Order: sequence, then structure tokens, then C-alpha cells
Amino acid sequence: MDALNIVTLFLFYVVVYNIALLYGTVGEIITEKSGSLNLGVEGIMAIGAMGGYLIGCRADSLLVGILAAFICGGLCGLLFAFLTISLQANQNVTGLTLTTFGLGLYFFIGKGLGNKWPALRDSLSLSKQVEEIEIPLLSEIPVLGKALFSHNLLVYLGIVIAIVAYFYLNKTAPGLKLKAIGENPAASDAVGININLYKYIHIIIGAGIMGIGGYQMGINLGGSFEGSNCWINGYGWIAIALVIFANWNPAKALLGTFVFGFFNTLKVYGAALALAFPKALGWLADIPAQLFQALPFIITAIVLVLNSIRKNKNNGQPAAIGIGYYREER
Amino acid sequence: MSNTNSSSRFRIVKRMQLPAKKAFLYYTVAVLVAMCIGAVLLMCLKINPLVFYKEVLTLGMLDNVFAYKQIEGFIKLFVPLLITSLALSLAFKMRFWNVGGEGQFIVGVICASVVGLKLGGSLPTFVVLILMALAGGIGAGLMGALCAWLKVKFDTNETLMTLMFNYMALYLIKFFGEYKADWNFFLDPGSDRPRFLSLPKGAWMPTIPMGKFSLNISLIIAILITVLIYFYVKKTKQGYEITVVGDSPSTAKYSGMKVGKIIIRTVFLSAFMIGAAGAMHVSTAHVMSTAITNDVGWTGVIVAWLSKLNPAVIFVVSILITVLQYGCQVANAEFAAIDTNFANLLQGIILFSVLVADFMIRFKIVRNKANSENGKESE
Repeated sequence: MDALNIVTLFLFYVVVYNIALLYGTVGEIITEKSGSLNLGVEGIMAIGAMGGYLIGCRADSLLVGILAAFICGGLCGLLFAFLTISLQANQNVTGLTLTTFGLGLYFFIGKGLGNKWPALRDSLSLSKQVEEIEIPLLSEIPVLGKALFSHNLLVYLGIVIAIVAYFYLNKTAPGLKLKAIGENPAASDAVGININLYKYIHIIIGAGIMGIGGYQMGINLGGSFEGSNCWINGYGWIAIALVIFANWNPAKALLGTFVFGFFNTLKVYGAALALAFPKALGWLADIPAQLFQALPFIITAIVLVLNSIRKNKNNGQPAAIGIGYYREER
Repeated sequence: MSNTNSSSRFRIVKRMQLPAKKAFLYYTVAVLVAMCIGAVLLMCLKINPLVFYKEVLTLGMLDNVFAYKQIEGFIKLFVPLLITSLALSLAFKMRFWNVGGEGQFIVGVICASVVGLKLGGSLPTFVVLILMALAGGIGAGLMGALCAWLKVKFDTNETLMTLMFNYMALYLIKFFGEYKADWNFFLDPGSDRPRFLSLPKGAWMPTIPMGKFSLNISLIIAILITVLIYFYVKKTKQGYEITVVGDSPSTAKYSGMKVGKIIIRTVFLSAFMIGAAGAMHVSTAHVMSTAITNDVGWTGVIVAWLSKLNPAVIFVVSILITVLQYGCQVANAEFAAIDTNFANLLQGIILFSVLVADFMIRFKIVRNKANSENGKESE
């Protein structure tokens, strides 16, 4: 393989192995904009992946799989919303427990099915539907074309969702009301916005999007269940970090996905790049993979601290994040 | 005081304090409901839940000549969980959301291992162990205190900050465990594949032989810590300050307490304990591992919360959760599809149903009177 092909392949992997981060991040941004910090992303993605994969294979349809992943994720969101909004439970504890619960359920179902686990290649039309689709013209750009414009539907869907979420949050009336709730629930309550309804809907939709992200990971990994490793493999936590890095903005999340995805991919293919370009990138081979894995978290911690030091007015962090709102305690 | 939806037929009213007996009953019912849900799940796998629960709750010790081994295994899981949960409860009491238990535990393990590997054997065991605990505690404590300082100074979100440190610590220990280099004294030089070097015997947690069973000293230390924390929280000035800061920071401030100092001090203590627990755990396990935490930082959050942050209750709940975790591990021998993941699943369900019970203890739902629709009530 010549050097340029390796670059193309590298960039292709950056996109396809990390697009789930975008789903997770956009889902969490929508959730956090309503003032709720949902730490259950990892678990929600696992449940969405499991539900989407099993039901999608059964129906042999990508659309059913996506819907099932959205619904399974959304049900987790409903649980989170019910506990934290209606029952006023603590968000941190509920979210963390959702992760424990979700991963537990993931392995319970996977191990319980044993050899009854469906294989992706047996679902003929589903396998066809997740093949790459080349976008005409754009996919013919040298090097970049095949890397960026030749992906399956789940990749394109993630990008579309991010763009739609950007416009929804910034340009539509419900989106702006949602932001107001995240900043100051009491004031929003006073002007007659039905806060709880808004929170419920957005937590559920956000969790549903996370669920689709999990489904994408499962499909991308060929749908084979491993007893020791979950498909999600910590991406839910990276998504929580990416929300901060992206400053609660879905458009920046798109950019951030590629930055974080770049590090994630370097971890695996850094050595191949170093081989292809020994002069320019030879040093990549000497950097331990663990540093690339830790970088998203290191960068995010720095961004978090800098944001709080500057007290940036353009900071996208919702002021009321993590704080429950109870009308009586105003 | 009606609930948000003005047209709803029900509303939520805060209760007077429920008698303790009744509250206990609610929680018991909640746990039983969770176990029943677990039973249904088990039956989906064609496993008899009664047989399974019996195996879990007895840790598979019935008719087992190696029953003492199970108790030893139980203690190894129980001690870190107990200390971590106690430590987290201190921070949570101040509403400081230290979710960095995983990272603090790992840092404790790494710092303690440095001491253990370098000094083990050259100093008396008990000096080495104390130095290990101090190194682990201080390493983790400083990491926690940094997050607390940022919170006090710049209002940096501590949940997200401690979360980030978890992963930095995780990849640090993976780095030490997977990166072969001359300087890397954590690895076994005799092994071709990277493998952690075992601690020298002089850094092992001593055990007291009692017949076949040998009692790990860490259990005694953990019980002592529980008693100390109980008195620290309930009887000392510092413990009182923690409570006031948690209940009302402005009260604390205007009564002249140095809130920032209290937060940093308490979070340091919290992280110190977790780090020291990591040190004790590695000297019990005799070797580091990248999965050494057993998710204790996450499970600790659940235990602390289930226990309402009360040290005495934490002791009991830690026992129960460890029985569940270790029991599922043991049951794996008989039921191949079941392992600690089922324990995690059940733990989640238990916490969720306890949260529902919490709500029912604090509030009651009353029906709005039918004729209130005709404008008798304001809404």
C-alpha cells in the first residue's frame, strides 16, 4: 500500500470509528442544555447498541435497528428524567448508576443469549444497507474523497443530526427556550414555560441519539459480542469530555469529534503512519498509545479550568447544570 | 403548592418525617422489589432464582470444605469498597461530587507500589506498609485537593474535573503496565510480555492464621476506620463543619467558617482515604493490575448514596453489596451466563427502586378533590 492510501485509510478510520462520539456528544449537549448532567452516556449507548442490534437483526432492517436503538436509549432517558425530575433524585448518582445498570444489562443479555447471538452477515438486507455509499463527485476528490465521502448511512446520519441540533438549539424558538431553562429554570418557569415537559422531552431525545451512537459502534465492529469488552469501550465518557471541549455547541462537536477521533486513531494506526512517512512522522512510533488515549481527557481538563478561570461570558456551559429545580425551594 | 401541571388530578405534598420503622419498611420493600425483577430476569435465562439467590447469599459456602477461602475472597473485595464508600460520603456530605474514586484509587495503588517495590524487604514490614499507605494517600489526596482548590478558587465543576482525572489515572497505570522500557521498574524484567512485577514479601499485608482461615489485617484496619469516621462526623468540630457547609454554605460563611478551607481539607481527606485503600488493596493483592479497582469508585458512589451517607449504614450496605458482587462471582462456576455483571445490573435496579422509595418517604401524592376544578383552588 502506498503512502497516500494509508493517509486515506487513516482518515476513513478517524471518521468511522469515532462518529459514535458525535452521537454521544450531541445527545449529551441536548440533555445538558436542559440543565441536567446525565453521566449515564456509557450505559445508555450500551443499551441502545444492544437493543438496536438485536431488534435490527431480527427485522433485518437498518431503519428498524435505528428506531429500536433510539427507543431503547430514549427509555433510559425516560428513566433518568423520571427519577431526577419527578422524583427529585440526585443527577450524579442516578447517571452513574445508569451506566452501571446499562453495562450490566448489556453483558447479561449478551451472555444470556450465548450461541443464539445473531450474526450480522446472516441479516442479508441489513448487511447491504450498512454498506458504504459514495457521494457522487465529492468522493472522487483525491485522498480526502474516499476518506470522508464514502461511508455508510449511520455515519451520514450522525452528521445530519449534529447539524440539525445546531440549528434547533440556536435558531428555533423551542431551542432557545431550552437554553433559557438550562440557564435559569426559575425565570423560565415564571414566564410560563412548562419546564418539566421541556426537560423530559430533551433528556429522552438526547438519550435516544446516544442510543443510535451505540448502535453505530456495534454495527461498525461487525456485531460480534465479546464477553470481556463492551462495544462502547469508554466512548460514553469521552463524549462527556467532548461536550466541554465543544463548549456545548453541536457544530463544534463535529470538529471536536475529528480532533478526539484523530488521537483515538493514532493510538491504533500511528505506527502505520510512522512507517509510511518515516521522515516526517517517524516520531509517532515512539509515543506510547496510552498518551493518545489520555489526551482527550487531559485537553478537556485544561479547557474546563481555563473556561472557569476566564469566567467566559460566551461560555456555553448552562448555569444551572447538575442542579435540580424544585419550585418550592426557589 | 401544586405540582407543575395545573390541570393535574394529583399533587405532591411534602410529608412530615416518617417514623424510622416505616422508612425502613419502605426500603426493605424496595430492595425486595428489585430482587423480584432480578428473579424475572434470571427466569428468562431458565435459571431458578431461588437456587441462584441461595448460592449468592451464602457465597457458595454450604457443603463446601473450602468455605474459608470464600470468606478470604469476600474480605478482599469488602475492605476497599467500605473505605472508598466512607471516603466518598465525606465529600458528598458537603455536596462536593467527588466521582473521582476510580482515579484516586489507582493513584493510591501506583504511589504505594513505588514504595513497596523500592523499599519492601529493606525495612520492617509494618514500616513499609505505613509508608505505602501514606504515599498512596498523599498522592491521591493531592489529586483530590487540586480539584477542590479549583472549585473553591475558580468554581470549576468538580464532577467533570474528577471524572477527567479518573481516565488520566487509568491510562497512566495502563502505560506503566504495557510500556516496556529500562526505566519502567513496575514491570517484571523476567517476562517477555509486559507484566506487572509482584511486590516483595516485605510489602505484603500480614494475615493472622486462624486454623485454615487466615484473617487479613486490612479488615481490622477498615473496621477501625469506620469507627473513627463515625466519631469524626458525629462528634468533632470538623465533622460538624462538613455538615453545615453541605446543608447551607451561606450559613457556614456568615457564621465565620472558612468554607474554602473546609472543602479543600475534607476532599483531601476523602481522596487520601481512597488512595490509602488502594495502597492496602495492592499490598493484599501482592501485584498491581490495570483492573485493580474492581469499579470500587463507581460502586462506592452507589453504596454511599444507598446508605444516606451514614457511616454505620455504609458498613452494613457495603457488606450486602459485596455479598452480591462476590456471590455472583462465585455463582459463575455453576451458572455460566452469570457473573459480576449481573451484580452490577441488580445493583442498578436496587438503587433505582430505593430512589423511588426515597421519594415516597419524603413526599406523598394526594388526589385533588373532584370539585376543585370549579375554581375552588387557585389552580
